[in-house]
Amino acid sequence: MKALSVRFMDAVRAEFYSYIRFYKNNRAFLFAAFIWPYLMMMLLLGLGYLFGDPRMYAERLGVRSPVLFVVSASTVAMSSVFIIDEVAGYTLYNRWNGTLPYLILVPMPLSKRLLSASIPSVLLSPAISVISALPVAVYIEGLRGFMLVTSLYASIILGMLPLAGLSVIVAGLVLTTKEESNVASSLAPFMLLVSGVFYPVTILPKILQEVSVVVPVRYVVDIAKSLASTTAAGQLYVAIYALTLMAFAYNLFTVPLLSRVEARVRMYGFE
Amino acid sequence: MSSSSAIIARGLVKRYVTYERRGFLRRVKKTIEALRGVDLETRWGEVFGLLGPNGAGKTTTVKILSTLLLPDKGWARVAGYDVVSEYIEVRKHIGVVLSVERGFFWKLTGRENLRYFAMLRGLRGVELEKRVEEVLRLVSLTELGAADKLYEEYSLGMKARLALARALVHDPPILILDEPTLGLDPPSARRIRELIVRLAREEGKAVLVTTHNMYEAELICDRVAIIAKGRIIAKGSPEELKSLVAKEVPVIVRFTSRSTIVEASSLEAKLRRELGVEKFSLSVDKEGRNVLRVLARPGEEEETIARIVGLLSGIGYRVRSIEIAKPSLEDVFIALTSGEEK
Repeated sequence: MKALSVRFMDAVRAEFYSYIRFYKNNRAFLFAAFIWPYLMMMLLLGLGYLFGDPRMYAERLGVRSPVLFVVSASTVAMSSVFIIDEVAGYTLYNRWNGTLPYLILVPMPLSKRLLSASIPSVLLSPAISVISALPVAVYIEGLRGFMLVTSLYASIILGMLPLAGLSVIVAGLVLTTKEESNVASSLAPFMLLVSGVFYPVTILPKILQEVSVVVPVRYVVDIAKSLASTTAAGQLYVAIYALTLMAFAYNLFTVPLLSRVEARVRMYGFE
Repeated sequence: MSSSSAIIARGLVKRYVTYERRGFLRRVKKTIEALRGVDLETRWGEVFGLLGPNGAGKTTTVKILSTLLLPDKGWARVAGYDVVSEYIEVRKHIGVVLSVERGFFWKLTGRENLRYFAMLRGLRGVELEKRVEEVLRLVSLTELGAADKLYEEYSLGMKARLALARALVHDPPILILDEPTLGLDPPSARRIRELIVRLAREEGKAVLVTTHNMYEAELICDRVAIIAKGRIIAKGSPEELKSLVAKEVPVIVRFTSRSTIVEASSLEAKLRRELGVEKFSLSVDKEGRNVLRVLARPGEEEETIARIVGLLSGIGYRVRSIEIAKPSLEDVFIALTSGEEK
């Protein structure tokens, strides 16, 4: 009868284990995860070509190769959707599943618990999207396409760190709502709307342009554009700098906020 | 953990605020007093039963003791740690079952689910594998060939066993089990009960179990507390509590109706109004017959039976059997809560 201490890495390891086992036991789901980026590509291409020819689309987005940008952008978009769904929806899914009380009973503060749950999503969801996009990128651009998509993986991870922090905050806030409303479900479309995945941020209304400054996905899209063009190296550095800053800011903010959420949840109950 | 009490609670009060909708926009604030000063104590090596009907405050008590909910007033210590300020320590020392029906990942096997929760409890490497295998055997999931089946394929009995396995996987000294046999078939319920008793007797664990099954409580609990409307109304060993109703005679009348649906509230009102019967309970047995359990005064059993039969026949029910029984915990419960029910 000994009381074991739980380290942050134990929780991370457990989350990796369940993530991998889930996909292993659900081949159909894994297959669908590889297909989704292609569906997103088709949507983006459709939107891109709707109002003009490929050259106009390339000019509008400021990229050299529109198809390559679409491949990159759809990878970014799908990674974002996956992460928001998995991280922000974590508490909601577990509430529906009946697993939430047992996850809260793990002897560690809620902030650490939710951050540990986000790590497999941050690393593995973009990996699925990138692996899925790789064949098309290589087919279109050869070695350059391969380099582009693999370097995109690193930038997506960087972009997903602040996004995960943001999603963890949403996951915590979901705990305080009594209604079974899916806050997370409205987050992903909004993020994509202001990210510039579908069209340049400059054509958005002023207020949305301002909001997009603090949305991490926007900078990952900027990185994708920089990689798909030959001229925008400055934009690349700005994006990397902004993402690094946001990764620290959002994740540091989660700890004090979630401590308050945890106190509130214990006062009023979470179901 | 040197104290003789594994769990101590004093004066626990918990109120929930809800809003009742009145019309389209208007909402009325309503305060529900779930606990009104609960005191209880569970010793090492004993099975302590918290008995009460639905809504009595059992689950709220369990949630407070397992650190999921804060009390509004009062205090509780589990394994010597305060449930409010030292909740992380409390969590290290408890294994909890809150619902046997859900609480696992449907697309993972029983073993995978258990490994996941064991990792979240800090188990690693060989120790993890060994412990997972041990508890799977302990709850007979290996024996049933269910350890490597997906959770979505589990029967309710298997789910209950897995829930108990999770509570035990980190070998906690204290178990808090909220209705661990609810809805189980008799063999599965028996197996779970045997395990609970064994864990307390052989391993010295303190087990707090809630139930509204009086038969089960009598069978496994060393001591029980009866809770009704947020208050502990009696505490002691089952024998001590039964002595409270030694002066009353339980009469059990089984009856059926043509429609098989008995309007419990109108029958209860008739029993009170027309026969002056106060201490009774109404339930349905496994054969679907209605069971009326009445506490009669000694020497008045026959008269009570005659009046009940007359009343039931008069309103169209058919009496199937009449029995005079020995007092049980259920009779204690009827005797103590009859005043509260009105």
